[in-house]
Amino acid sequence: MTVEQIPVTGRPGRRPAARPARTAPAERRRISMTGRRHRAFYLFTAPWTIGFLLLTVVPMAYALWLSFTTYDGISPNWRYVGLGNYGELFSDPQTWKSLGRTGLFAITSVPLSIIAGLGLAVLVNRPIKARGLFRTLLYLPAVVPPVGAGLTFKALFDQNSGAANGVLTLFGFDALGWLADPYARYVLLMSVLWAAGNVMIISLAGLQDVPRELHEAARIDGASAWRTFRSITVPLLSPVLLFQTVTGVIASVQTIMPLLLTPDGTTAGVTALPQSNYLYMMHVFSQYFALGRYGYASALLWVLFVLILIATGLIFRFTSGVVFYNVDPEAKK
Amino acid sequence: MHPRAGASLSRRRFLALSAAGAATGAASLNGCAMQVSSGVGGGGESVTVMAKPDDISPELIRQAQKDIGVKIVTVRYDITKLIGMMTNGAPPDLVRGVGATDAPYFAARDVMEDLDPYFARSRVLKAGDLDPVNDLWRYDGRTQGKGPRYGMAKDFSQDSMYWYNTALFDKAGVDHPPETEPVTYEEWLENAERLTRRKNGQTVVFGGSYQGVLTPNLLASLTASAGGSLFSDDFSRIDFTTPEARKALNWYVEYGRSRVGPSIVQPDPNAWDGPTYQAGRMAMSNSGYWLGGLINTDKKLAPLSRLAPAPLFAGGRRVSPCQAGTGFWMPKQARNKDAAWRVFEWFFGEGPARARASGGWGIPTLKSLRPLMPAQEDYQKRVLKVQNAELKHFSVIAFTPYASADSLYALFNQEAPAAMNGHMSVDALAGRLNSVMNEQLKRGKEQVG
Repeated sequence: MTVEQIPVTGRPGRRPAARPARTAPAERRRISMTGRRHRAFYLFTAPWTIGFLLLTVVPMAYALWLSFTTYDGISPNWRYVGLGNYGELFSDPQTWKSLGRTGLFAITSVPLSIIAGLGLAVLVNRPIKARGLFRTLLYLPAVVPPVGAGLTFKALFDQNSGAANGVLTLFGFDALGWLADPYARYVLLMSVLWAAGNVMIISLAGLQDVPRELHEAARIDGASAWRTFRSITVPLLSPVLLFQTVTGVIASVQTIMPLLLTPDGTTAGVTALPQSNYLYMMHVFSQYFALGRYGYASALLWVLFVLILIATGLIFRFTSGVVFYNVDPEAKK
Repeated sequence: MHPRAGASLSRRRFLALSAAGAATGAASLNGCAMQVSSGVGGGGESVTVMAKPDDISPELIRQAQKDIGVKIVTVRYDITKLIGMMTNGAPPDLVRGVGATDAPYFAARDVMEDLDPYFARSRVLKAGDLDPVNDLWRYDGRTQGKGPRYGMAKDFSQDSMYWYNTALFDKAGVDHPPETEPVTYEEWLENAERLTRRKNGQTVVFGGSYQGVLTPNLLASLTASAGGSLFSDDFSRIDFTTPEARKALNWYVEYGRSRVGPSIVQPDPNAWDGPTYQAGRMAMSNSGYWLGGLINTDKKLAPLSRLAPAPLFAGGRRVSPCQAGTGFWMPKQARNKDAAWRVFEWFFGEGPARARASGGWGIPTLKSLRPLMPAQEDYQKRVLKVQNAELKHFSVIAFTPYASADSLYALFNQEAPAAMNGHMSVDALAGRLNSVMNEQLKRGKEQVG
C-alpha cells in the first residue's frame, strides 16, 4: 500500500467511514485535514489535560466529597453529614473573622505590591548605569523560596535576638514585639513588599511594550512626565495591571507566609498566631492538620474557591471600562 | 562433582550451587536468629521507618546494615504523610511516636500492631527487663498503661524535672534549689522572675522555661500534682474548672504573663531550650534528664549544671511523670513486620540503645542498661543521684484516646494567648477551653465508637 492509499479517516487498516457520494474530493481532504489537526491538538495537549484531570479535577472532586463527611483521616466511624460542615462554617466566628482579615490583607497588600513593583519597574527602565545589576538585585527576593523567606523574617524580627530590634536598641529605642499584635501585620506586609520584584519584572516587560513614539508625541505636545505616565503608560499597561490584580488577589487569599512565622514552629502553633495574621488559610490549615477535621476544612476550601471565582468576576466586571487591550486591527481580518 | 575455582558455570552447576547456597543460607539464618533474636530474620530485607532525622542518623542506617543486614529506608516523620500512607494501604513498617499521647490515640483506632507475641518470643527485649515507662505504650481499650504493648520508648525522662545553671543563680544572688526536696511551683516562678534579665525591652536571660513536652500533657501533669485529674474517668471530657485544674491553669497562665521564659506569647527562636540554655541565656530548663545528652558534651556548662526534682504545688502531691516516652510502633498494615521487629529489637535493645544510654540522652528503657548511664565525673554522679531518687515518684498519667495531643494543643494555643496577654481572666479561659476541647473530644468519641 502506498502512502497515498492509506485511508486518512478512521484508523489505518479499517474501512473508511461511508460518506455521502456527492462530497467532493477537495472537501474530503479539508475535513480530513481538520480531523488530523484536532487529533494532533488533543494529542499534544493530552499531557496537560491528563495532569489537570488527575492533579486538579480529581482532588477537587475528592475534597468536595470530603466536605460532606466527618472524615479525619484515621478514625473508623466517620460519616456523611450532607451540608452539615457548610452549616457549621457559617456559624463559626473564626471563619468570618479570618475571612475579614484576609479581605483587608488583599485590599492592602495587592495595591501596595503593584505600586511598588511598578515604581521599581519605572526606575530600572531608565537608562541608568548597571541597570542589569539593579534589575537582578531587585528581582532576587522574588526567587527566594517562601520557606527561606519566612524563616529569615522570623529571625530578623524576633524580639530578643532579631536584627530589627538590634537596630532600634542601637539608637536608644525599646525593642518591639514585631511578631505579636499589633506589629505582626506590618511584618507580613513587609514580606509581601520584599518580594515585589516579581511584580516589577512583569511591569517592566509591559513598559517595554509601550510605543516610544507615543511618549515622544506627548513630549512635543508639552505634556509633563507625570501626565505622560498617567495618560499613556498606565492605560497601555492596564491589561498587565489587571493580570497582576487578579493573580495578586488570588495569591494574597492563599498566602502561607503567616504559617512560616508561627510562634513555635509546629502544626499546632498556627493557632497561636497573632490575631492580625490569622488569615483564612491559617484557619483552613489548623482545621486540616492541627485538628484533623478533613471534612470541615475541605468545606472551608470549597467556599474559598467560590469566593475567589466571585472576586475575579467582580474585578473583571468593574475594570472592563478602564482596561485597554492593544489589539492589532489587521489581526482581526 | 566439586566446583573448582575458575571453572565455567554450566546451567546444571549453577542450579546445584544455588540449591546448596539456599540451603546453607537458610540454615545459617536460622542459626543466627536462634542466637540473637526472636526467630524472625531480617537478612537482606528493607524496612521503611518514619522518623525524625535525629532518631536515625545515616551512620545508624549503615550500622543496621552491618549489624543485622537490614536496609533501613527513612521517611521524614509527618502525621499527614503517615495518614496518607495508611489510607493508601502502604504505611511505613515502623513509625515514630510519643507514647504518652500517641499510644491511646492510635490504639483506639485499631491501626497499631499488638507487639505482645513478638515480645514473648524475643531474646533481646524481655518483659522483665522493660522499665515501667514502657507501659505508656500499653492500652486495653479503656485505659493507658494496661493491656497489649503497641510500642516501646527509646529513652525517657521525668519531664517535670528541671536543670539549672548555678552560675546564673549566683550572678542573680538566688539560692540554689535543693536537689533532694522539690520546690513548689510558686517558688519556681518566683525564682524565675528574679533570674530574668531584661534590657531595652529585650530578654537577655530567661529566668526559666517550663513548657513540658506538649502543653496538654503538661497541664495534665500539673493538675495531677495539684491532686486532681484533668480528664474524666472515661477520658471523654476535660474539665479546667475543678480547683486542681484551675490551679494548674492559673500557674501556667501566670508563667506566660510574667514572660520569664519561652511560651506561645514569647516564642524562643531556637524552638527548644537546648541552644538557649547552652548559650547561658536560660537559668532553668524544664527538660528532664534527657537534656543531659547535650549538657555532657559541653565541658564548661556540665559542671555548672544541676538537675532538680519536679516541683509540686503547695499542699499538693509529688508527681514526676514522663510526658513523652518517644519511641516506635508498628502499623497493623505494615508489610515487612518480621524484619521491622528485628530493627525494633536492634534499636531498642542492642548497639543504638547502649549508645543512647551511655551518652546521657535520657534514661534507658531497659533496666539492664541503667549501669551505662554516665557517672564518670563528679557532676554526673551528682545528677544521677538526683535522678535515681526521683524515680521513686514516677507515675503514668493516662491521656485521652479521643483527641490527638496536637489538636488539644492547637485549641489551647487558640484561646490561651488572650489570657496570657491579660485580655481574659483565667476563669473565662477555663470555660473557653472546656467548651472547645470537649467539642473536639465529643467528635473523637463519636468517630472511635
